[in-house]
Amino acid sequence: MTAAVLDRPLRAPLGRLLAAEVRWTLRRPRTIIALAALALAPVLMGIGIAIAGEGSRGGPGGLFGALAGNGFVLPIVAMYMLLPVLLPLLGSMAAADALAGESAHGTLRGLLLAPVSRGRLLAVKAFGVAVVVWLGVLVVALSGVVTGLVLVGSNGLITLSGTTLSVADALLRIGLAVLWVGFQVFAVASIALAVSAWTEHPLVVLAVALAFVLVSAVVSALPNTEWIQPYLLPTGWMSLTDVLRDPVPGTELLRSTVKALCYSVIGLSLAYGRLSTKDG
Amino acid sequence: MTSASLVEQEVGAAAAAPTPAARTRGLRKVYGSTVAVDRVDLEVPEGAVLGMLGPNGSGKTTTIRMLLGLVRPTSGEVELLGRPMPESAGITLPHVGALVEGPGFHPFLSGRENLRRCASAEPLMASGSIRGAVSEALERVGLSHAADRRYRGYSLGMKQRMGLAAALLLPRKLVVLDEPTNGLDPAGTREVRKVIGELHAAGTTVIVSSHLLAEVEATCTHVAVLHRGSVVAQGELDELLEAGSPAVVVSTPDVQLALDSLRDNGIGARSEQDGLVVDLVGTTAPYVVRVLVESGVAVHEVHRRRAGLEDLFAQLTESEESGDQG
Repeated sequence: MTAAVLDRPLRAPLGRLLAAEVRWTLRRPRTIIALAALALAPVLMGIGIAIAGEGSRGGPGGLFGALAGNGFVLPIVAMYMLLPVLLPLLGSMAAADALAGESAHGTLRGLLLAPVSRGRLLAVKAFGVAVVVWLGVLVVALSGVVTGLVLVGSNGLITLSGTTLSVADALLRIGLAVLWVGFQVFAVASIALAVSAWTEHPLVVLAVALAFVLVSAVVSALPNTEWIQPYLLPTGWMSLTDVLRDPVPGTELLRSTVKALCYSVIGLSLAYGRLSTKDG
Repeated sequence: MTSASLVEQEVGAAAAAPTPAARTRGLRKVYGSTVAVDRVDLEVPEGAVLGMLGPNGSGKTTTIRMLLGLVRPTSGEVELLGRPMPESAGITLPHVGALVEGPGFHPFLSGRENLRRCASAEPLMASGSIRGAVSEALERVGLSHAADRRYRGYSLGMKQRMGLAAALLLPRKLVVLDEPTNGLDPAGTREVRKVIGELHAAGTTVIVSSHLLAEVEATCTHVAVLHRGSVVAQGELDELLEAGSPAVVVSTPDVQLALDSLRDNGIGARSEQDGLVVDLVGTTAPYVVRVLVESGVAVHEVHRRRAGLEDLFAQLTESEESGDQG
């Protein structure tokens, strides 16, 4: 009787697994709080810039200078400011909860017993982390757009090159930035996911991921490290401002995206290597 | 490969009983320099309720984790529902419900949400029936009233019930419960027994690990006693208990007369608290009774003494321990 039924592996529908993962992730209070805090960041920046702008008209040039009367620049500035630490922190937090946190709660075992194969488990987890990452970036961008329009106002986007883009083109540039920033943050989160597979202490994941980002940033700023700089993630993060030029110089944006994908592949491979042999 | 295993199955079926629900051969697991489990040969017949007994740290949980494919054995073989583990996890585990190493749930989600998450990962669960299955499982373990409260606020016993509910989300061929009554009050313990009884009646094989002897004696058909990572005894509960030392207990007011007459007939006996204990070594119960009656001893009651599981357990685990120390 048993032999008749037990002839092939059975799997839960992937879509259902992904939906359950996203539902669980977005119900987690810390995810909601983190997203809310990220939404607040562009508002605070907008207020700060508005106040400073009133004090010193025609002040500094560059990115902040481009903000005056140019609301659509605010989301880009906000992403630029949050990319070095806070957005990677969000991604690492999601990655820490995804495997280490589940392991600590004993819920990972439940999934393995269902069973969800280890490869699928990693895919589901990576998807959940990606959703949090891009959602976080999107929240920053949307809050930036709204704040920029309300506090600074705009009739389009004046690029760093001096040309003016239509609202539609401006939104396209912002969308491009969201996509690009997401890849960068996901690269860090993938490394965090690898650490997450090795430990059951989420704090260890956060510490390692943050150390990874900060050390990379410091090394990329040191002299005499030019040989390694092209391989570090933060080296490419300056190129975000390229989306504000007309036409967009794509080389550096593309190169840093490829770099981020490489980091993601390495991180997820390490995570799979550990997860596939890990005791449940 | 498939045909080979099929032949093997047929041979096994022809040789003896049908495929056991779970079987291990020479199972061994070493963590660093600690041998957690060694030479474990376990056989769980289909439809049995196996109680795995053993002191803390005797390897019960490690054995269960290897059975379920969560841990790869250092050496030895595991078969679950006739399939090698952990290779066949995708085939076997959908038919297996398990509560291992305590319940694992998310504190910020309600009981219902937690179970929904479990249910959505179950391969045999139809998407449309998740809601109903979750409510049913909650009802079955008596948690309906607290279903929408956060898991964080649950008592130890309620958490344990949640673990049980997750294992019972679907009809299973095998249910594995590792210490299911931890933290439960007497009413909860009774309910777990009832659930195990229902599973047994439905033909489900159940493996229960416990260090509570009364619980095992009350619910199990088969027993395996583990000690220091090895199986020191296993088999049907009744047989194991009988195998101890057969004896009958005689209630009589004429104790001295009875002792004398039995001694004259070469039968060993001693007076104990619950009556006269007569060892059935080289003799039978009817013969003992005849000797007593013929000697004029007033016999009020004679019953067979079954060594309690507790005696058996003490015998198996403690004697060895004192022997090691001595």
